[in-house]
Amino acid sequence: MFRYLPEQASKHAPHVDWIHNLITDLSVFFTVLIVGVMLYFAWKYRKRNGVDHETPQIEGSHSLEIVWTVVPTIICVIIAYYGIIYYHEIRQVDPNAMTINVTGQKWFWEFEYENGKKTTSEFVIPVDEPVRLLMQSKDVMHSFFLPSMRVKRDVIPGSYTYLTFTPIKTGKYMAYCTEYCGDSHYAMLANLRVVSRAEFDAWVEDKGKIITDPAKRGALTYKAKGCNTCHSIDGSRIVGPTFAKLYGSEREFEDGTKAVADEAYIRNSIYNPGSQVVKTFPNGVMPVFEGQIPEEELLDVIAYIKTLDGTQKVVVEEEEEGVIDPANMTPEQKGEALYKNNACIGCHSLDGSKIVGPSFQGLYGRKGEFEDGGTYAADDAYIKESILHSTLHIVKGYPAAMPAYQFTDEEIASLTAYIKSIK
Amino acid sequence: MAHSETHVEGTNYLNCQKGIWSWMTTLDHKRISLMYLFTISFFFFFGGLAALVVRTELFAAGAQFLTPKQYNNFFTIHGVVMVFLFIVPGIPAVMGNFLLPLMIGAKDVAFPRLNLLSYYIYLIGAAMAVISLMPIESLPFINQSFSDWLVHTAGLGGPVDTGWTFYAPYSLAKSGTHSAVIWMTGAAFVLGFSSILTGLNFIVTVHKLRAPGMTWGRLPVFVWATYATAIIQTLATPVVGISLLLVIMERVFGVGIFDPTLGGDPILYSHLFWFYSHPVVYIMVLPAFGVVGEILPVFSRKPIFGYKMVCGATFGIALIGFVVWAHHMFVSIGDTAAYVFSFLTFFVAVPTAVKVFNWVSTMYKGSISFNTPMLYAMAFVFLFMIAGTTGIYLATLAVDVFYHDTYFVVAHFHYTMQGGAVIGLIAALHFWFPKMTGKMYNETVSKITFVLVFVGFNLTFLPQFVLGMKGMPRRYFDYTGLENFDLLQTLHATSTIGAYINALGYFLALVNLLYFFVFGKTKAPANPFNSLSLEWQTQSPPIHENFAETPIVTEWTYGYGTKKEA
Amino acid sequence: MSNPTISNAIESGPPHVHHMDAPTAYHAAKLGMWLFLATEVLLFGGLFTAFALYRYVYFAEFQTASVNLDWRMGALNTAFLIFSSFTAALAVDAAQHGNNAKVRRNVLITLFCGFVFLIVKYFEYKSKVHYGLFPYAVKGFENFLFTGSLFLAIGASGVVIFTHNAKLRLPTILASIALVVSFYFLKHTIATIEFDLANLFPFGHAHHPKDVWEFNGPEFNAAYKSYFGLYYCMTGLHALHVILGMGILFWVYLKALNNRFSPNYYTPVELGALYWHLVDLIWIYLFPLLYLVG
Ligand code: HEA
Ligand code: HEA
Ligand code: CUA
Ligand SMILES: [Cu+2]
Repeated sequence: MFRYLPEQASKHAPHVDWIHNLITDLSVFFTVLIVGVMLYFAWKYRKRNGVDHETPQIEGSHSLEIVWTVVPTIICVIIAYYGIIYYHEIRQVDPNAMTINVTGQKWFWEFEYENGKKTTSEFVIPVDEPVRLLMQSKDVMHSFFLPSMRVKRDVIPGSYTYLTFTPIKTGKYMAYCTEYCGDSHYAMLANLRVVSRAEFDAWVEDKGKIITDPAKRGALTYKAKGCNTCHSIDGSRIVGPTFAKLYGSEREFEDGTKAVADEAYIRNSIYNPGSQVVKTFPNGVMPVFEGQIPEEELLDVIAYIKTLDGTQKVVVEEEEEGVIDPANMTPEQKGEALYKNNACIGCHSLDGSKIVGPSFQGLYGRKGEFEDGGTYAADDAYIKESILHSTLHIVKGYPAAMPAYQFTDEEIASLTAYIKSIK
Repeated sequence: MAHSETHVEGTNYLNCQKGIWSWMTTLDHKRISLMYLFTISFFFFFGGLAALVVRTELFAAGAQFLTPKQYNNFFTIHGVVMVFLFIVPGIPAVMGNFLLPLMIGAKDVAFPRLNLLSYYIYLIGAAMAVISLMPIESLPFINQSFSDWLVHTAGLGGPVDTGWTFYAPYSLAKSGTHSAVIWMTGAAFVLGFSSILTGLNFIVTVHKLRAPGMTWGRLPVFVWATYATAIIQTLATPVVGISLLLVIMERVFGVGIFDPTLGGDPILYSHLFWFYSHPVVYIMVLPAFGVVGEILPVFSRKPIFGYKMVCGATFGIALIGFVVWAHHMFVSIGDTAAYVFSFLTFFVAVPTAVKVFNWVSTMYKGSISFNTPMLYAMAFVFLFMIAGTTGIYLATLAVDVFYHDTYFVVAHFHYTMQGGAVIGLIAALHFWFPKMTGKMYNETVSKITFVLVFVGFNLTFLPQFVLGMKGMPRRYFDYTGLENFDLLQTLHATSTIGAYINALGYFLALVNLLYFFVFGKTKAPANPFNSLSLEWQTQSPPIHENFAETPIVTEWTYGYGTKKEA
Repeated sequence: MSNPTISNAIESGPPHVHHMDAPTAYHAAKLGMWLFLATEVLLFGGLFTAFALYRYVYFAEFQTASVNLDWRMGALNTAFLIFSSFTAALAVDAAQHGNNAKVRRNVLITLFCGFVFLIVKYFEYKSKVHYGLFPYAVKGFENFLFTGSLFLAIGASGVVIFTHNAKLRLPTILASIALVVSFYFLKHTIATIEFDLANLFPFGHAHHPKDVWEFNGPEFNAAYKSYFGLYYCMTGLHALHVILGMGILFWVYLKALNNRFSPNYYTPVELGALYWHLVDLIWIYLFPLLYLVG
């Protein structure tokens, strides 16, 4: 009865389910017994014709008390015992286990493999081989939960925690964040693909290129850490001060003091932003990046900021050297830049896999159904509307998580061109 | 016992003094109890409304009418109000205040003034909590600089969105809406102080004010339950006080106690929180146990089975309840600690089991009538079986790894707190209604209410067990795209429908009781249910001093048996 | 079971006195106070544990930090509190003998000592702020004093009103108003007083390793912060208890003014004194821990 647990995809899952089902059976038994007896008494000894009948003054029974103290105690000890030994099994790390570093951050998961490969919101492991996830958090507490693997562990800032399991089936599974962590806690999901060893090897070796230019690396960090959401590179004001022509300029603070923006100043602003807030900008908005951007990467970021003189419009591309002049870009290239710079990349994949939102692969021309029952065919107008009024219509099976973007018509045309190109 | 008709007229505690002022300054435990009752009812409906908002949002996948942030605000409001403003103060302070002195034959609690003070402290704490739940920034009538002052200087950037657990370091962020956390924790401290004073008052009352002949061995089980509750209240609550002071240290002096970026340990916060908040769940449920222990004998015309075991078990639960707190943190504490706390947790189940078995045995060979209180009491036994046995899953280490922070936990604690404590409270309100108000309510309406509540409640929360089994995490604004999505959708929809039925039931119960309190025509006799305990031996409603003459007790409270053989 | 007979002999809404006889009331009150003291000990116990823990972790820093406290001020306060505890005990003795005048005298001395304690505390805190040992620049000290006096006045009036003592109502309210008004005019004068024991006692100065610290500066690390955080929390909470105890004793004083105490009735004096002893006791632990041991 009540066998609703999800598919058993890890080696220890059957054990957990066994003890779980044992408790279920015992609970059902005791509930039916106790409630059944209660109802039976209620019926058997009901007051008839509105008159009380004689009742005996039974005050208790020693032997019964002993029985119903001892029996539950024994059952409890047995359940506790199995709970503990199976937990022990869950926590036991195989010495040959492959380690993947997992970092939780509001509100996504990052994975780093032993060979340095990094992924976001998706990770891949080989079947039948033990893995160990070594987890840390960059901000608040999170918790990593893989229902099909029957594992969960809190991810705690300031310390490492681990999870370990051996997958026994190939397939796609989901990981949830199960420790409340703020607004998008519900969207802090990740996909797990369990694949054959060969497939895994091919996947994990595909690492992309190594970048040698520090400013370019800095640009990538600028994007990856979300600096771009508050600091523009073209001189416009978003939430925080722009990075254009920042280096070497004079800054004036809330308390009237001034300083020149040199390397030390930039470092301090990033590691300890509350200590010097530039006049007219809100205090306490910028997160502390100390411990989140390592010193080497910080130097890259500073190198990048130095290059910004207000003429740049796009963040450096991974494929190309240096900064591209947007005037020379095809609409598709512009669309691709937009896709990468506006964090679309965080939710919409290019390879058909599901991250948070629908994949862009083969999107153009696709037909489907909305949450509210309506249907759509993805043409230019549809894409435009999905971007500008992102939560008006939600495709069935997806969360209403996308922010509304304020793009110009030209930008939307570029994006549409780019999406068309992904087949 | 049938001499009640002689003094139906005359004064009683409700009409002996008139006017709002006489209520606000009253020292009478019965009036204070009613004042608590009205206040917590208000908060119950307030929290219930927030629950309905939560459930409506979850009715279907995708965003319905809230933003994620608002959703988080609403479940926080719901949890905080229900726990800190409704059930923790409510259960002991309403039922305990009204019944404790009456049951032991005293004229009042030991310190009536302190009692009134506790009530006002409770009000202050409640006000602080409500303030921290207010969206100050978006209130239209406040001018900008004032609202800035409130948000940035006074720390009122509510509403809080941390969940009722205020886990560090999320709750420590100084900016944004978290700043109201300090008010919320402050409110918890103030409310705790009220709780301490009430508990202290009850302990002394039981020790010193028992009527002649009311020996410890003759005390009604409800008194034992309230006494054990009072001990938990006085011993566990100071710990929240310290936690609060530490949070203040953290916020004002920048000392890293919980915040890892300052070198603190967030898990320490969880420990301190649960060290208080686990015993708190027994503050909620022990009085309800006591209520059931009173109702079953009366409507079965049988003594409570295994009196000593029932009362002893109460203390067993209270004591063991102090050493199991870390079972809320199995997936964040070390392995050895987890073994120990898991093992200890199971021992709470044993005394509880003892109680359940004794309750059911009480009905054996009785003469059972099915008045509304009895229906609630029997429902309680059923609901608490589900509540307790699902607690066993959670106590089992390997299984809790799967269930922690899923809807299974949500369902578990609604079965305990609502199916247990709230149902117990409603049972009590129906049972002692004639005593409290001097009126009778309408049995038929009450039974309809009962059915609505019972069906609605199970319809709401049974599906949530299945949600949990499918791995659905709690505090999720949306469940689109999770594994087994279609099933989740159906279950959530069912749960929402159940919640509305349940709400209708509570609403009707309120209307029923309130209506007959105010407009009821049928005067209640002194002892409509033929109970033997002392509170029924005085008129309904009781006079100001409870008893015209100090009662003298010569026998055990539960001499219901009429046949001599046994 | 025998039903106690119930008659209907009540006339009107009665005043709420005598719901228990005097000895019961006495024992009940005492039990209540002991329970309350137990919760207080639990509360402070947590802070002491935290202190012990942090001292263990930041041993050296705590030593350095504690030098910043002026042990002479602490010692002065200790003396005052111990002495006041003694007079509180004398008040109990007097009450047991029904000597209300002596109760009044001793309670007044106790109250005075408490008051001095708070004044010294005030100057201590002020010098901490001056040396930068507090995270915020506290400016409006005078307003702080003013609000303090306002609360004191309201509290005192409240106590008087609650004791149903008609004779005293007007004088207390007048005195309260006078207190508030005089504080309002004197607050600037008071705030400018620079009180340093060094001026009183010729020997030595308080050790300030640095002239002015910077609480939020880089050298003031987590260890110092936790020392001072604990210092303010513990002494602040204790000061709060001193104020509370003074409130209770003031209420006792009002009762003594009405000659309420006799060998048969002295519960308030005894409980007030009991509470005061606890306040004293906590200080006796705080003083060496914070000022001497570090
Ligand atoms: C009134 C409130 C109340 C009560 C009474 C209980 C009772 C119990 N609770 Fe519950 N619990 C909560 C309120 C309550 N709980 C809340 C609010 C939370 C979540 C807080 C949050 O995270 O927001 C929670 C969460 C919670 C957890 C943490 C889950 C998690 O977050 O991972 C655990 C784990 O051990 C647990 C266990 C138990 C147990 C073992 C009991 C036992 O006392 C139950 C004992 C009773 C029985 C077992 C039934 C009777 C027994 C028999 C008839 C005998 C036959 C049965 C057997 C032999 C097994 N509870
Ligand atoms: C005593 C405690 C108590 C009680 C009684 C309830 C009652 C209810 N709770 Fe609550 N709940 C908690 C304590 C409680 N809850 C706590 C502590 C949490 C955790 C919070 C957190 O995670 O931080 C929680 C979380 C919680 C969640 C999980 C949210 C999430 O994790 O995302 C849900 C979801 O369904 C829920 C639902 C309900 C419902 C439907 C009721 C219903 O029973 C409510 C019944 C309805 C009413 C009482 C309304 C009364 C009637 C009216 C207002 C009149 C309406 C008018 C008409 C119908 C005419 N609760
Ligand atoms: Cu991350 Cu919840
Ligand atoms: Cu618990």
